[in-house]
Amino acid sequence: MKFGKRLKKQVEESLPEWRDKFLSYKDLKKLVRLTSAAQPCSRVEAEFVQMLNAEIDKFNAFFVEQEEDFIIRQRELQERIKRVMEDDGTGGSQPSEMEHAKEMSRIRKDIVNFHGEMVLLENYSSINYTGLAKILKKYDKRTGRVLRLPFIEKVLKQPFFTTDLVSEMVKECERTIELVLPVADRGQSEQGRKGALVAAEQSVFRNTIAALVTMQELRKGSSTYGHFSLPPLSLPDLQLPSPIPILQ
Amino acid sequence: METHSALPVGNLNMQQFCNSGSSGVMSSSLPVLPNTLEEKFPELPDPQHVPLEREIQRNPLPSRRPLFSSPSGFSPDLSFSSTLAHERHTNNTPFVSRSLNAGVSLPSTYLSNMEIFQVPNNFPKDPTEITWCPDSVQSMLNCSDGVIMGNNQIQNSSNKVSNDLHKQNEWWSDIMNVDWKDLFDDTTISESQPKVVCPPAQSSSNISMQQPQTDQSVPCHSGEVCAVTGASSSATTAAAKPRMRWTPELHECFINAVNQLGGSEKATPKGVLNIMKVEGLTIYHVKSHLQKYRTARYKPDSLEGMSEKTATQSEELPSLDLKTGIDFTEALRLQMEVQKRLHEQLEIQRNLQLRIEEQGKYLQMMFEKQYKSTMDKTHCSSTVEKPTTISSDQTHSTAKIDLPEARNSSTDSKITEGFRQVSNKWKMSEVEPSNEKETDALTSSLPPSKHSRINDEDS
Repeated sequence: MKFGKRLKKQVEESLPEWRDKFLSYKDLKKLVRLTSAAQPCSRVEAEFVQMLNAEIDKFNAFFVEQEEDFIIRQRELQERIKRVMEDDGTGGSQPSEMEHAKEMSRIRKDIVNFHGEMVLLENYSSINYTGLAKILKKYDKRTGRVLRLPFIEKVLKQPFFTTDLVSEMVKECERTIELVLPVADRGQSEQGRKGALVAAEQSVFRNTIAALVTMQELRKGSSTYGHFSLPPLSLPDLQLPSPIPILQ
Repeated sequence: METHSALPVGNLNMQQFCNSGSSGVMSSSLPVLPNTLEEKFPELPDPQHVPLEREIQRNPLPSRRPLFSSPSGFSPDLSFSSTLAHERHTNNTPFVSRSLNAGVSLPSTYLSNMEIFQVPNNFPKDPTEITWCPDSVQSMLNCSDGVIMGNNQIQNSSNKVSNDLHKQNEWWSDIMNVDWKDLFDDTTISESQPKVVCPPAQSSSNISMQQPQTDQSVPCHSGEVCAVTGASSSATTAAAKPRMRWTPELHECFINAVNQLGGSEKATPKGVLNIMKVEGLTIYHVKSHLQKYRTARYKPDSLEGMSEKTATQSEELPSLDLKTGIDFTEALRLQMEVQKRLHEQLEIQRNLQLRIEEQGKYLQMMFEKQYKSTMDKTHCSSTVEKPTTISSDQTHSTAKIDLPEARNSSTDSKITEGFRQVSNKWKMSEVEPSNEKETDALTSSLPPSKHSRINDEDS
């Protein structure tokens, strides 16, 4: 139940409109449990596969739609940045400077959140994939069938798992943010941390932290470590601000 | 269009979009892939062949940025596959099945398949970063981006093409059945034609190869429609909206079209569709995209902030009202740091997952082949027992051949040793060198800090 619990936690922490788009791990597990171990029936298997396919459709639909949104938003952000950069030269008077600064802050916030959402989409993809792999493994274990390998092959090619475009956009975002954020000042970073902890209440940030924590826990090293398991995750130098005490 | 009953195990229903001829072929667990592209080309009618070459010549291939350093040698295939897709998108179904069947029936399968699993996993999707002003050449090359979705891990060029074709055939036959009529109705013949190759006598809008319409436009032919309909959704959405995968280039094209029409408010879906002239793009796609575009433009802040507002009341917190200020910037910086880290880890994880699966598939295939070949050797009595011993060795070496981080060095040596054992027993001399190469490649491509021991152990 460990994965199920973690998935549930992740879903709870995620953006509201995403919550019903995750894998229905629990339901699938129920189905696997009900599958007879003695005589794996092809009808039941077909039903299982059908359910999996439906889940995959759900992922694909959601993912592709989000991706489309991201493409549009990225373009718009670029436009805004361009405009603000252009205004930089022309604006001399006081009000427009204020406006300019405000817009810059807004843009920065938007870019960072945009980046965060894209990364969360990648996380969505990853966690759903993991769930699928696990449920297939359970099925194979229970029925002695070999459904997992060929099925996962197909999954690997699905749109929701081919996250290259999103990944590229994320990198582009990171490059952009370097241009847009002012140079860091070491001395003020401490104050910034406090502000950041408050900022952790923002759902994108909170979701990100939850995702990292989940990933860390999921990959702590499992009892069923096999040749398809991922190695344990090590994030030695990242100190995650723990959101829980703050959010309470 | 598709049925759920009696699915071949492990096949998603997407495969059922292939015509019946090829779907039977496709359902074999490990499709055999043709060795070269040239074997497919002769099957193409000549008019398509010529533009294909032209397309290839026109596409310079900017260097890619792979995540892990690796040769990116298969960019040409993107243009191949995309143009092939364009060629095939009308009812070339018998054609399709012919070529697919030809591909499957080739005997020298495993050699080419072994090349599949050579690491590393490249990310060939975009040739360059998404610049603010993508030029037309990039967009031409990127026309395949919307199409190629699942071939990142496969390095062999012919495999790539075949996979592309396989997927594209499904999508195209789906699109064909659904939307082509709409497109015919909507598009006019007289407008200037996209550069992309089109099947000659099929569509109404393909004959001339003129330049795209205006100076400001990114050629819209770079767009590619991938009807990513999965299994059960197709039944309900068949007539309406095959799902489409947008790319930044296609979006750029869209924006140009919208601007030509006077802006997002004035532009109509039909007008945009006509200007864009992207094959396979339907008015539904354009309509929904236009709607999203309008929303994004006129309420950028509320859209971005929506996720925050609904979840918490963070907007009302005094410290967050500070749109300026060091605290705020630092907060953003921290958030960015965390996000970057998550992204990094996700990428690594994804790579690992892909590689693990490749490895598993490879071993499975080797096992099957050996099993098959030993079954054929009926004259030797000892061979009958071989499968069982091999299976135990198989699992042994499979377990060991994992990508371990937590393994100690003694098991590392067992990896190559066990693998060599297996391959020796299999007596497949052509396999052996590549086995070791494969092991080396696999282990050495992993992050060096974690796997330096393995690298040392390997021959």
